[in-house]
Amino acid sequence: MILNILTVLGVTVLGTVLSSVISVLPALHAYNVLGALVLLFYWLIEKGLTVPSEVFLPFMAGIVVGWSMLNTIPSILLGAPDESAMFTVLPGQKYLMSGRGYEGTMITGVGGLAGVFFLVCVVGPFAPRVLPVVQGVLRSHMHWILWVIITYILMSEWPKGGNWGPAGLAKFADAWRSLGAGLATFFLSGFLGFILLYRSPVSVEMAFQNIMPAFVGLFAIPWCLLNMISGANVPPQRIAHSLEINGDLILRSAAAGGLGGGFAAFFPVVTGGIGGLLAGHATAQRDEKVFIMSQGVSKLVYYVGSFTLLFVPGLGITRGGAAWMMKGLYVPRSYYDYFMVLGSIAIAGAAAFLMMSPLTRMTIRFIEKVNYRNASAIALLIILGIVFLMTGWGGIIVMVVATGIGLIPVLFASRRLNCLGVLLLPIACNMSGFGQKIAMWLRLI
Amino acid sequence: MKGIAHYISGVMAASFCPWAVQAATEGNPLYFILGGAFGILPDTIDFKFYRFFYRHDFYVDPDAQNPDPQTIADELAAAVDKARSAGRPIRIKLNTVRMGADYWRQYVVRFDSENQEVQVRIGPVVNTGQVPVPNSEPKDRAVGRAKLSAPIIQTYDATTRVDIFDGPTFAFEADAQGRVMLHFLPWHRNWSHSFLVAAFWGLLGWLLWNWQAAVVIVAGYSAHLLEDQLGFMGSNLFFPITKKRFMGLHIMRSGDAIPNFSAVWLSCLLIFWNLYRLTPGLRYHFNFLHLIVYGAIFPIGLFGVVHWLLTRGDKGREAPIELEDEFGDTMTT
Repeated sequence: MILNILTVLGVTVLGTVLSSVISVLPALHAYNVLGALVLLFYWLIEKGLTVPSEVFLPFMAGIVVGWSMLNTIPSILLGAPDESAMFTVLPGQKYLMSGRGYEGTMITGVGGLAGVFFLVCVVGPFAPRVLPVVQGVLRSHMHWILWVIITYILMSEWPKGGNWGPAGLAKFADAWRSLGAGLATFFLSGFLGFILLYRSPVSVEMAFQNIMPAFVGLFAIPWCLLNMISGANVPPQRIAHSLEINGDLILRSAAAGGLGGGFAAFFPVVTGGIGGLLAGHATAQRDEKVFIMSQGVSKLVYYVGSFTLLFVPGLGITRGGAAWMMKGLYVPRSYYDYFMVLGSIAIAGAAAFLMMSPLTRMTIRFIEKVNYRNASAIALLIILGIVFLMTGWGGIIVMVVATGIGLIPVLFASRRLNCLGVLLLPIACNMSGFGQKIAMWLRLI
Repeated sequence: MKGIAHYISGVMAASFCPWAVQAATEGNPLYFILGGAFGILPDTIDFKFYRFFYRHDFYVDPDAQNPDPQTIADELAAAVDKARSAGRPIRIKLNTVRMGADYWRQYVVRFDSENQEVQVRIGPVVNTGQVPVPNSEPKDRAVGRAKLSAPIIQTYDATTRVDIFDGPTFAFEADAQGRVMLHFLPWHRNWSHSFLVAAFWGLLGWLLWNWQAAVVIVAGYSAHLLEDQLGFMGSNLFFPITKKRFMGLHIMRSGDAIPNFSAVWLSCLLIFWNLYRLTPGLRYHFNFLHLIVYGAIFPIGLFGVVHWLLTRGDKGREAPIELEDEFGDTMTT
């Protein structure tokens, strides 16, 4: 028993430490590494070696928790954000540009820690009793909920232009430039999603990484290119001795982020970014610190929560890449697995938060030594290398096309969340049962 | 209310229609999409279409480098004067002052009915989140005042902040008693926020789809109008029969967090309840009381208790009571 506990503790911390390396490398997603790990476990099983669940479950939990929390560092300081960090990036970048990058990162980290508390202590005890009921009622309604979310995303974008000048068509056109760009981004990404789903240029052997080059192109590369072109100079960063936050601020952030992240974790295809947007609107947030911290909560609850749902006894749903990969390897059976994963999440959360400050300081030293434009170029090279290694030329082609689409919101100041059409549109069509008809109409099948 | 509250209320309205739930169970999301889309449509019409074609008689365009509050006050007073002589409503637009990619100079306008004057104060630079930039207040107390040529009757807040994106519009309309009515954002909650327009959209939905779609459309659109009526501005509920906005109930403000979140949460619970009672063959059974206890009382109660525990010590450290308003006038307490 004690050996088991020590094993869980050890491998959780090991997974979290590994995640710190993954996290600070831009564009390398935890799911890419988890995919490689799962392949390694399959290989071991083929060779007749079994890895006990007390080793790989906490290890994977450590990676997912660590990455969800520590990936904030490049999101804010290096500007190569993961999609779910879209809403952290705007105020986070503001913090960076006012010399408060450390503070912004650490506030998001506190949000991550609050997310761990929310998952383990608030959701954890009630999930086996409440979530199966919720799932039972909503099971046959997931498709329209997704359509309702898509419609809201498209209808809720605010016109950025048309604020000055006399009334008329010119003013209307100025306002609709960003809105039109948003709609174009959504439908072009959706079309790309259909291509990836039905006729992907990525080889079959690497099919589990099918969507990765598209995400890199849609979100990470436009950001790197923008940094390189704009040549923004990052001011010297201050290391704040106090984050000037209090319990009430943490509570409000945990409530908003927990709702958004939880919603995203529970509903298929809804990502942390979308959950964050919905929760932000629903709770009418104004405070910048609450905004940043709630995105830290949302991101963690989304990634870790979706992974944890696989282990909730009596629920039987699989959400998120980590859970899908895990499901092929191991089917959780009991409360033993559930509580072991919850315990691992708590340990990993604490370990990741302890690593947050030193890693942030290291990254700040890096961006202060290396010109920001050069840092972005290095990030871009790393991204290109990873995409090529994982998906070959097929992936590079997808990435280039996705970059073209991902640049539209950057150039027209529209919402980057529209890029999620790559997932939302084809999957919503499939869930409602007319995806194949559209694919046939597009001559993809 | 915020867009998301209107939107989810429209979806909630659709969920009360058994045919919407039935169709959704069979893979047709149409009715729920219509409910949500028409729930938010009145504001979409106003903010994404109509306001760009709404013509103004005057534009107030403060100098970004050196905004002069007196000039702004004088222009507003001139518009009021013009409304008296022109015999028609005069529309004036207060443009925002952009200071950079994310920064705006805030200014505040107040119509003082008692002293029959308009007051303008230049405020701090704020970011797009409307958070003031420290030490960006003008060094001098930058206030401008101008006497109005007629008593002003206000139907909305006396004070208006102008800061991010699009500035507000006022319409001044003289009445038979020689007074001038002040209409805030005259292009908003006007013809688009009418039950008769809801009926028009319903009719269109009937022609395009069926009567069930028409019911959902009218329900979603009407939910928006009723929710807006809880606020201050009110709506022109029976355009084209009526020409002016009906006064709101003054229960809440559109940006308030608690009413907005309550509307969203309550809508979600009602949607969940409707799906539960209209979906056959479910394994789990509960009643409405269970839903309210587990879905509202318990989580909101828990939040309330923790919030109270975390903030109860702040009572003794509350900010001192402000004795002056934004214009330096003594406030009655």
